[in-house]
Amino acid sequence: MNLAEGVQFVSFIILAVLVIGAALGVVLFDKIVYSAFLLGGVFISIAGIYLLQNADFVAAAQILVYVGAINVLILFAIMLVNKKENYAPIPRRWIRKGSAAAVSIGLFVLLSIMLTRTHWSVDLSVASPALPIETIGEHLFSDYLLPFELASVLLLMALIGAVVLARREEIEGETTAIVGELPAPALELPERPREPVA
Amino acid sequence: MDFTNLASQLNAGVILPESTVVITLLVVLVSDLLYGRASARWTPYFAIAGLLVAFGLLCLQWDQPNTLAFLGSFNADNLSIVFRSIIALSSAVTILMSVRYVDQAGSAIGEFMSILLSATVGGMFLSGAEELVMIFVSLETLSIASYLMTGYMKRDPRSNEAALKYLLIGASSSAIFLYGLSLLYGLSGGKTHLADIALALGNGTENTLALVIALVFVIAGVSFKIAAVPFHQWTPDVYEGSPTPVVAFLSVGSKAAGFALAIRLLTDAFPALIEQWHFIFTALAILSMILGNVVAIAQTSMKRMLAYSSIAQAGFVMIGMVVGTEAGYASMVFYLMIYLFMNLGAFACIILFALRTGTDQISDYAGLYHKDPFLTLALSICLLSLGGIPPLAGFFGKLYLFWAAWQAGAYGLVLLGLITSVVSIYYYIRVVKMMVVKEPQEMSEVIKNYPVISWQPFGMRPLQVGVFLTLISTSLAGILSNPLFTLVNHSVADVPMLQGHPLVARNAAEKARSPLAVVGFPINAQDKS
Amino acid sequence: MNPGIDLQQRFIETLTDFGLSDGISKLIWMPVPMLLMIFGATVGVLVSVWLERKISAAAQQRIGPEFIGPLGILAPVADGMKLVFKEDVVPANSDPWLFTLGPALVVIPVFLSYLIVPFGENLLVSNVGLGIFLWIAFSSIVPIGLLMSGYSSNNKYALLGGLRAAAQSISYEIPLALAVLAIVMMSNSLSTVEIVEKQAGYGILGWNVWRQPFGFILFWISALAECERIPFDLPEAEEELVAGYQTEYSGMKFALFYLGSYVNLVLSALLVAVLYFGGWELPIPIETLADLLHIPQDNAILQVVDASLGITMTLLKAYFFLFLAILLRWTVPRVRIDQLLDLGWKFLLPVGLANLLITAGLKLTLPFAFGG
Repeated sequence: MNLAEGVQFVSFIILAVLVIGAALGVVLFDKIVYSAFLLGGVFISIAGIYLLQNADFVAAAQILVYVGAINVLILFAIMLVNKKENYAPIPRRWIRKGSAAAVSIGLFVLLSIMLTRTHWSVDLSVASPALPIETIGEHLFSDYLLPFELASVLLLMALIGAVVLARREEIEGETTAIVGELPAPALELPERPREPVA
Repeated sequence: MDFTNLASQLNAGVILPESTVVITLLVVLVSDLLYGRASARWTPYFAIAGLLVAFGLLCLQWDQPNTLAFLGSFNADNLSIVFRSIIALSSAVTILMSVRYVDQAGSAIGEFMSILLSATVGGMFLSGAEELVMIFVSLETLSIASYLMTGYMKRDPRSNEAALKYLLIGASSSAIFLYGLSLLYGLSGGKTHLADIALALGNGTENTLALVIALVFVIAGVSFKIAAVPFHQWTPDVYEGSPTPVVAFLSVGSKAAGFALAIRLLTDAFPALIEQWHFIFTALAILSMILGNVVAIAQTSMKRMLAYSSIAQAGFVMIGMVVGTEAGYASMVFYLMIYLFMNLGAFACIILFALRTGTDQISDYAGLYHKDPFLTLALSICLLSLGGIPPLAGFFGKLYLFWAAWQAGAYGLVLLGLITSVVSIYYYIRVVKMMVVKEPQEMSEVIKNYPVISWQPFGMRPLQVGVFLTLISTSLAGILSNPLFTLVNHSVADVPMLQGHPLVARNAAEKARSPLAVVGFPINAQDKS
Repeated sequence: MNPGIDLQQRFIETLTDFGLSDGISKLIWMPVPMLLMIFGATVGVLVSVWLERKISAAAQQRIGPEFIGPLGILAPVADGMKLVFKEDVVPANSDPWLFTLGPALVVIPVFLSYLIVPFGENLLVSNVGLGIFLWIAFSSIVPIGLLMSGYSSNNKYALLGGLRAAAQSISYEIPLALAVLAIVMMSNSLSTVEIVEKQAGYGILGWNVWRQPFGFILFWISALAECERIPFDLPEAEEELVAGYQTEYSGMKFALFYLGSYVNLVLSALLVAVLYFGGWELPIPIETLADLLHIPQDNAILQVVDASLGITMTLLKAYFFLFLAILLRWTVPRVRIDQLLDLGWKFLLPVGLANLLITAGLKLTLPFAFGG
């Protein structure tokens, strides 16, 4: 093992521990803010793993998109929500927690067995391209052109949807309704809600 | 890379229908932006016109010689054309229904249609996607648009709950699906085209465990989309809480896209595991038929009943898929075409009823015949067709399905299908009886106060047209089913993966073997010869 | 182009001459440029703090720091010393872990971004292929640190300041990235070295600012907003929020914020010089000068002069923009938060997109001038 390989190995171990530890923290912390900050840690550590695999563009994009946009958005949502609600403790909650843990561990064991047993037909002889960004660009504009373009429709629609959900509606009638009368329900389903089953 | 050469290889003409829908979307959006709510007078008609143009273009593309486009990302064969037409038409009928509905709820139709049209684009691309990235992006376009439409009535807690439930379950199922796709990518050594993957996977003798896990994960993702039991839990709540036109689209357009994905992905990428996925889908079909039909009996809300009924209908459709013969696939596509009209018809009727009375309780339908015979007739015909009463379209659909399954030797499935159909007829007839038989004094309070029938208010005309169109199609499609038969047979015969495959023939021969023994059973190399 | 001086090779050669093995020499070399850069950035901050105080004083017809060293030049050092020796207060009911981590998260990405700032053809820490994109990615981590310190301070002003800072930082990152993208499109590369080299050859006429005037203005406005400089210092607007997310901080942690904001400002000024004003290039190309004076290209003295002139030119350009930023501080009033967001989303974003589109069009029609 030469110097470069040693450094890579040690960095991989550190990053792996960081990813797993932070991810466990995300799941196990009771305080949601800690979970959100640790999620950022998970993203950054994963970017580090990408970097170890010579995928530097993906690593930078991971930081830009996941840490810079998604995680900040999550934090915003958490910090802007100012509602305190004390939920009644669920009796025998440990059963749920235990079964969730059991299922997760079972899945983990299954997937680990699968990973070790499988012969991955990976061709290691392929050299990484000299200009990764240009290679990505060529792919996006040749064989992945259609999904790339469809993604623009997806983003446009997500944008419209976000505006629809977030905007403050000015409903006709709500201000003009006769005093004492309830205005006609707006932005609600025309069907009456069911009577709750007693 | 030579880009002028590339442009000629793309064969971009085949996505002309989708491009039409995208352009329609942009026009609707921009005119809504420029003219505000005044544009709501004409944008729905423009959107429908755009969808019909797309449908016309799809018809023109029938039987075209060169179907692969975008370097193999998209396949515009006849099968995909049928599915894309179903999705485009369901979207057009949904817009007919939603004009009045959205307007009465005080919401904006422009944005609603933009989201619906992008869901349509996603579904249409999904029907022809032949490549993992394309499949995932189009699936997400469809899904995210569906989440948004589900929560469109944003002041209604039921709508919020439905949207949140749908989003959370949908996101996790997408994640599982994506994990399955990534396994496929790894197992095939970095291939994303379905045919390349099938080639790289060989006959499935090595890495059986990983392959089966990939298969299960992929099926979990697909089953969520088609709401097969046990991946159906979201369906009743989402159907109850969503705006009814959205439910109509989800139950037809989105479901058709899910089936298109299932056929293409499973037959193209998993020919080696055909017995395994047939077994899984058999189980899903059995569970869906039983649970959907049995639980539907107990429902008091029309929307919830139709939700369970749509689960059951998906179970019937899956029969066509698991028999694995050409006739099976053809009957499945045929049933979906029929289902398009009868289910949308039923939803159009309950939308009309809800808009006039503000309720969707089944008990409130009592005595409707005395006040609104036309609505009663339309709803009865659609429900009876869903139940499979001759001579309506649904009967022929089920007949063809069961015949194909019987031919392939799936006797148990056919028997179960027949029994559950009888159960389903019970709850459909219950509604019809409620509407028709009750004496005037047994009318529900709602019906006693039934408003004067008027088609004049804004948006009622399109709804009327929608009810008429679906009614006529449902009544006539059965009698005139021969051209449709020819059409679907032709579309299926066109796809090499769906017939003539050695494994399919072998599978039919081995049908006698218990399906339980097949799971995880590695296929021998000698077996293949 | 002559390659200039390869410091790394010289250094390693010297070490191997002393009898060290090749690997160990490389190992010794590795931290040198990084430490040098951190040291340089810190000195740059001291200079800019001094400049800020002197220029502010001049703008208000005062004298400014005068007694600490000649012309008060040691005043920033004294400031720093004071902060180092101050008590480190962690407020009650705050979250001590996040409170400590926040300032570090704000400062580290900024220092890391110095990786890609070139002072000469071979005078940068790492000429990674990602180049300028790395800077954009790193600067997107900063809002997390701001939110963290704002949240953990257990103070409403700090929380509001943190939220404002993060919102501002996200909003202006997009026009910033769009402006950079236009440059990248013209240079056919993300690497800062190549971006400078594409501007070489025609002296002052070849600089990107002539081809990207709107891009430059866009970049400068967004960079000021990213650095939270007046007129965009909303997060710490003292009339409204005391000191924003810094309210509860003192001692060394406050010093980190202080340091971070100036390091960031110097970094932005350096990048303006690199992206739009030809980096280390002279207004008149040095080759032309050498030809005029009949000095051969491979003259050793010329190379040394070239390298030191390169550093000087980069710093001169950068400090010119620093001067502009300080001047702006005393000439432009602060915007309101809604004006700030409106400017970012409704004006700069469309302008950035249009600029990108026009650049793409020009690249196709005039490939000789726009790097087709």
